[in-house]
Amino acid sequence: MGLSLKEKEAIIFENDSDPQRILNIFLDIQFASEEGYIDEETAKLVGSHLGLSEARVYELLSFYAILKTEPQAKYVLKICNSTPCLYTGGDMLAEVLETILEVPIDQATPDGLFMYHSIPCIGACDQGPVIKIKDTVFSDLTEEKVYQLIDDLRNGCYLEL
Amino acid sequence: MIKRNQPVLLERVNKMEHATDVAEYERYQGFEGLKKAIEMDKETILDELDIAHLRGRGGAAFPLGKKWRHLYGSKGDTKYIVCNADEGEPGTFKDKALLAHDPLSVIEGMVIAGYLFSAKAGYIYMRGEYRRIQKVFQEALDHAEAAGFLGDNILGIEGFDYKITIISGAGAYVCGENSALLNSIEGKTGRPRVKPPHLADVGLYLKPTLVNNVESFAGIPVILREGGQAYRDLGTEDGGGTKLICLSGHVKNRGLYEVNLGTPLHEIIYSDEYGGGSSTGNPLKFIHFGGQSGPIGAVKNLDDCIYSYEGLWEKNLSIGSGAIVVMDDQVSIVDYLVQVAVFFAHESCGKCTPCRLGTTRILELLTKFNKKQAESGDLERLEHMLTHVTNLSACGLGQSVANPMRSGLDYFPEEFEAGLKEAAVPVKGGLW
Ligand code: SF4
Ligand code: FES
Repeated sequence: MGLSLKEKEAIIFENDSDPQRILNIFLDIQFASEEGYIDEETAKLVGSHLGLSEARVYELLSFYAILKTEPQAKYVLKICNSTPCLYTGGDMLAEVLETILEVPIDQATPDGLFMYHSIPCIGACDQGPVIKIKDTVFSDLTEEKVYQLIDDLRNGCYLEL
Repeated sequence: MIKRNQPVLLERVNKMEHATDVAEYERYQGFEGLKKAIEMDKETILDELDIAHLRGRGGAAFPLGKKWRHLYGSKGDTKYIVCNADEGEPGTFKDKALLAHDPLSVIEGMVIAGYLFSAKAGYIYMRGEYRRIQKVFQEALDHAEAAGFLGDNILGIEGFDYKITIISGAGAYVCGENSALLNSIEGKTGRPRVKPPHLADVGLYLKPTLVNNVESFAGIPVILREGGQAYRDLGTEDGGGTKLICLSGHVKNRGLYEVNLGTPLHEIIYSDEYGGGSSTGNPLKFIHFGGQSGPIGAVKNLDDCIYSYEGLWEKNLSIGSGAIVVMDDQVSIVDYLVQVAVFFAHESCGKCTPCRLGTTRILELLTKFNKKQAESGDLERLEHMLTHVTNLSACGLGQSVANPMRSGLDYFPEEFEAGLKEAAVPVKGGLW
């Protein structure tokens, strides 16, 4: 998954190998990795460093929505579907993305570059409609801005919109 | 001196250049509350909190003074302080502002609690969506420690040792429920616990624990610095202080504001200083208060409403988290509630059957109404289901699902009736 054993262990040590901070650890690893998920080997590694059983670790991985156990597209576009965003233009996002990317919601594009899905509120309700990619929130989106965003991402960059 | 209509919690948010800089924080009266607290008798601190009448800002609105007194009285050497920063109530983004732009005020509030309860460990549980802010907050913690406000022998007081650890959430709305949050800190799945026992007696690692919201903790230094009475005077009889409100939906000026409790709602929605009225040009129709779990009010009934705890209670509404989501008359209430139901069905943790299945049944029923496919009896079924889920669910999530649904039914019954299928006409004669 891109990260070396050393890099993963560094993240675990930065978090003091503290079982209380298991979610911090998983998130840090997931966000640092190319494919954006926690593979089996990593799950085992974290469990053994923290003294937690595999069952316990997998229970966590399946409970928390941000944690993923399958490889993700390079850019996962998360659309806020809570009511404040949805009724201030958010309802167009999924439609526009389907037109541009030519795949339905929750399905990666064949080149593995994009995927989009809905998530609940991310705390940017006064700037809806919003899309979140990793830690970055793109706000006050219009159809044109979404086209531009995808274009930019295809070229490997994005402008602050 | 603080006066009404002066920003109290947002004062520094709008002024500070470096939110994590201790010296700059102190220039704006930072840590004065803590310094006062350590001069005070512990009982007097509790008295000031009672006088201030700060109600918990996470949503439950329980008097903070009472909660703190309960923990103060609970037995045990080890007590934990926990800050609930899992803000996930759709329409709510107030804690985010404090965490990112005035983290030291939250820290100061938590340190005061640490002092009062002789706690050694504090935790702030911050939602996974706020990863960037977690880094800012960690920086603020490091700065505070370097300046002697955290760590060992704080302010030179022998034995006043206290540390704060950031724990990240990872995307589970139910972790905003206090007992679920504690489970999550313990490295378990964030499912709520059965209560009683009260968390003030049996909390984190089964020790007495205080859990308060970010905005509540940020208010503590103000109370101690200015005195309980001055704080109370900022609000009304049933709740002192100012309130952070989050305006979203169909108002012109969406955003975060601080208002004195007791401000007319009309002013909040329509005046240029706040909402500025409808952003779409259509008349406004309803307002959803306090997040998805809060009640909904019809704009036409709210002309004389005062934004305060008692003012909203009078109208069967509540402040909740401080979210104010405004919708215009183009939005069908049934359609809106379907989306609310989608949220709850998604976020139910599944521990209790009434909530796990009930939220799904509610979503199905509402969808039928929305598609105009409801049958006679469905309205009764919906009402039944709401009552069951409210009464039989174990935690606040399930117990409050019915709040928005019920108010929708009360104010806009005609929209539900319009969702009933046309009564089928009996076929006469043969079909050929
Ligand atoms: S009421 Fe719902 S969210 Fe709460 S414990 Fe039961 S199933 Fe979980
Ligand atoms: S409702 Fe979309 S970010 Fe809050």
